[in-house]
This record gives sequence, structure tokens and C-alpha cells, in this order.
Amino acid sequence: MTPKYSSCRAIEPDLVAAATGEAGAAAVRRVDDHTRGCVSCRDELGRYRAIDSIARGLRHETPPAADLAASRSALQARLADLKSRVLTYGIVPSPLGNILVARSEHGVSLVEYLGEGTTLAASRLHELTDVETVESSVEIARLRDELLDFLAGRRRQLGWRLDLRLAGSDFRRSVLEAAVAVPYGAVTSYATIARRVGKPGAERAVAQALRWNPLPIVVPCHRIVGSSGKLTGYAGDKLGLKRQLLDVEGVRTAPASKDFRVARETMYVRAGDDRAYCLPTCGDLPSHTLANLTLIASRESVEALGLEPCSDCRPDLHPLG
Amino acid sequence: MGLGAFEDVVAAHHPEIYRYLRRLTFRATEADDLVQETFLRAYRAWQMLAPDANVRAWLFAIATNLARNHFRAESRRRRAYVAVGDRRAEADPAGPEEEHVFRETRALLDRVVAGLPLKQRLAFTLRKVHDLDYEAIGESLECSPESARAHVFQALKKIRVSLNGHELPAMEPTR
Repeated sequence: MTPKYSSCRAIEPDLVAAATGEAGAAAVRRVDDHTRGCVSCRDELGRYRAIDSIARGLRHETPPAADLAASRSALQARLADLKSRVLTYGIVPSPLGNILVARSEHGVSLVEYLGEGTTLAASRLHELTDVETVESSVEIARLRDELLDFLAGRRRQLGWRLDLRLAGSDFRRSVLEAAVAVPYGAVTSYATIARRVGKPGAERAVAQALRWNPLPIVVPCHRIVGSSGKLTGYAGDKLGLKRQLLDVEGVRTAPASKDFRVARETMYVRAGDDRAYCLPTCGDLPSHTLANLTLIASRESVEALGLEPCSDCRPDLHPLG
Repeated sequence: MGLGAFEDVVAAHHPEIYRYLRRLTFRATEADDLVQETFLRAYRAWQMLAPDANVRAWLFAIATNLARNHFRAESRRRRAYVAVGDRRAEADPAGPEEEHVFRETRALLDRVVAGLPLKQRLAFTLRKVHDLDYEAIGESLECSPESARAHVFQALKKIRVSLNGHELPAMEPTR
């Protein structure tokens, strides 16, 4: 049954809806019924239609093109600035605890062990000024999958584009770049890295730079140890994680006094930048420190480097067990 | 980081968001600030937005929220209200004589709208100028679609009363 309105006040909502084209069929009928007998509401309907039409005409009113262009241009500049400061991050639960992965528009800029921490408050990102953080597990999803594959030994490379701006100084940056070049399944010394960055003897400074490595795992500072073969340290006090990472890559370690050492007797050896690789027992190699040696855990890793077997010890004929 | 996609969002929606905020503020510099803040906020939240989200409605909601904060200072509103007459006079191009009534009424309507309570003014502008549906307007104003509709209704009633005694152009039914 169609309700019959007895007063003009009661019809007003329907009247406005009808005038603005938003009334349903029933409301339109009510308005028709009412205005047929009410001249003032019929006029009112016309007035509302006029108001609605004028209001809709505002749609075609545009600001000056020059103002619009200036606004767009200013916006682009602000956005470019923001984009350069934004770090998108996600927190990845892993066998090494929770790991924060953050990336900028230039590449992955931070990998951080949070331990049990599950929020940004546990991260050094929290303390960085000049940086805006945006959490996005979606954006980080690919990195997360690849990282977990790496930690499970299913992937030997993290071919991520890196943003080393958090490195802190040119020296630290050069140390990180040299560390990236240490291949999967290999171990070398702080002294070797010092020499590679043109600062022979600066192994302490190298160790410090790696201690503050903003990209552990990706920049494989776990592959860099003391010249004695001792692991010496990792990301502050996380020596256990260093052992775990080396273990994933097939590098065996053994307890040493208050520390662990690389089991060099189980690894092939490359001296300096030689194109050959040797057994650990070749010549006087056992008496050398790791200051100029790289140890390699497997034939697979050796072959990945394209090295030739030493013609004296013939590691190809006598592979390590 | 989906930057390319966000640049598409800017390209697609900046002109309309600018027009919206320019209309609300009446001053280019205020509109500029609000537009920039709208898109910077949107950029920060962009990656969290559901893939099937209505981006246009979402941007209007951000812009509206910022505008509401902006106008919280009543003095700004008053300034804007005073400024409206001048701006409209400049914006109106010279037209044929028969449009005279229409243009005059539009200038008057602008002035009345500028003096409306803020929610009504925003709802009216979103509905009539930008043709958002009531659900989107409700999201912008953090109210139900029914309340959004009521705000527009109240705005129209007030405009109608304010235009009492003014000649209005004759209109054909819209349906």
C-alpha cells in the first residue's frame, strides 16, 4: 500500500530525492501524487531541480591549468623525495629467529636479526632518522621466500640488488663489496679482505666494518674469519648464527678455546688469487695462516669458481671425503 | 615497490583531488599543501591497499580527512568563506546574457555552500561535484551511507532556504 502523506513537510525528503534524480519508483509516485494537488510543492520541486542542476554544473568548473600543473610538479618533487627515504620492510620468521628485511627503491638495504623481536621497535630502523618505514609483507614476499630457501640450503645465491647506503662510510662500503665477492661455501680472513680493499694490515677495521654489516647473510660476512681460523665474532654476540650459516654452506667448524674454528683440514685451499686449488695438506700450506688463503668446502663450490686442480697434490684425484 | 603503479594513480587522480581541495580551500597554496599531503599519505599506505580497493574513493577519503583537520581551526573556515566571492567572480567567464541568472545563482550557491556546517559541505561537494556514491561519502566522513545521504539532504535544504527570494533558472525534470 502506498502511504498517503498528509502534509507538505512529510513529502519533502521524497521531493528532494525526486528533484535530484535519487528517488526510487515508490517515492516518485508519492511525489507525483502530492504535487498534482499541491501547487507550492510543485514549485518547490522545480526549485530543487534548479539547485541540483546548478550544483552539478560545478563539475565542469576547472581550476586554472597553470595552477594544476604547478601543483602536479610540486607533488612529483615531494614524492621523489619521499621515495628516496622510504624503506619497505617485513619481518621473516626463520630458523635463525626473526629477521627483518628492508628495501629502498635502490635495493635491499637492511637485513637484521631480531631474535624473538616481532616489531619495528626491536630494529635499528626504529632509531634511524631521515628514513620513513612502511611495513609490507607483500612487497617483501619474494625476498622472504628466497631467504628461507637460502637458509635451508636450497639456494646458493641471493642475487638481490643492494642498497649500501646504511654502510656508514666509503671504507665500510668497500669492505662490504669485498665481502660480497667471497663465494658460497668458502671462507677467508679479515686480513684477506683488508688487502682486497687496499688497506693491508687493517683487519681490525675490517672486522669492525663487518660487525656493523647492515646486510648480514646477503653480504656474507659469516664467510670471513680470523687468520687463525677462529670464527672470532658475528653481528655482535651471535657466533652461533655464524656457525649455523657456515653449516648450511657445508663449512664444518670445531670447538676451539672459547670459540670455534673452521675445520680447515676438511676444506680445499686457494692461495691468494691463484687459478689452482689444493688439498689442505699440499706442500707447506698447513703451516700458513688464513691471512692469504681462501678455504672452500666442496668440489661443487670449487668448480663453480672455475679453478683448476693443483698439479702437485691433484685434489681431483684425491677428493676430500 | 610498485612505484610505477603509484605514478599511474597520481596521473589518474591528481587533477580531480586538486579540484576538490581547491574548491574547499579557495586558496591555491592551501590546496597545494593538502594535495601533496594526500598523495604522500596515499603513497605510504599504497602497498597495504587491497588490490580490488576503490582507489578514487580511498583518495577522496584521505583528502577529506586532511581537509577536516585543516578546517578544525575555525578562523581558516571564515577566511575561506570571505574569499569565495572574489574567486568566483574571477573564475566565471563572460557568457551569453541568458546565462546571467544561472551564473549569478551559482555564485550565490558557492557562497551558501562555503557557509554550511563542514560535514554537510563536504558531503554536498563529494556528491554533487564529484558524483561519489553515498557509501564512498560515508567512508570519507566516517559515517554510514544513510548519514551521508542525510548530510546532503540537509545541505540542499539549507541552500534552498538561503536562495529564498532569488530568481532561479527554470529546469526540466531530470528523470
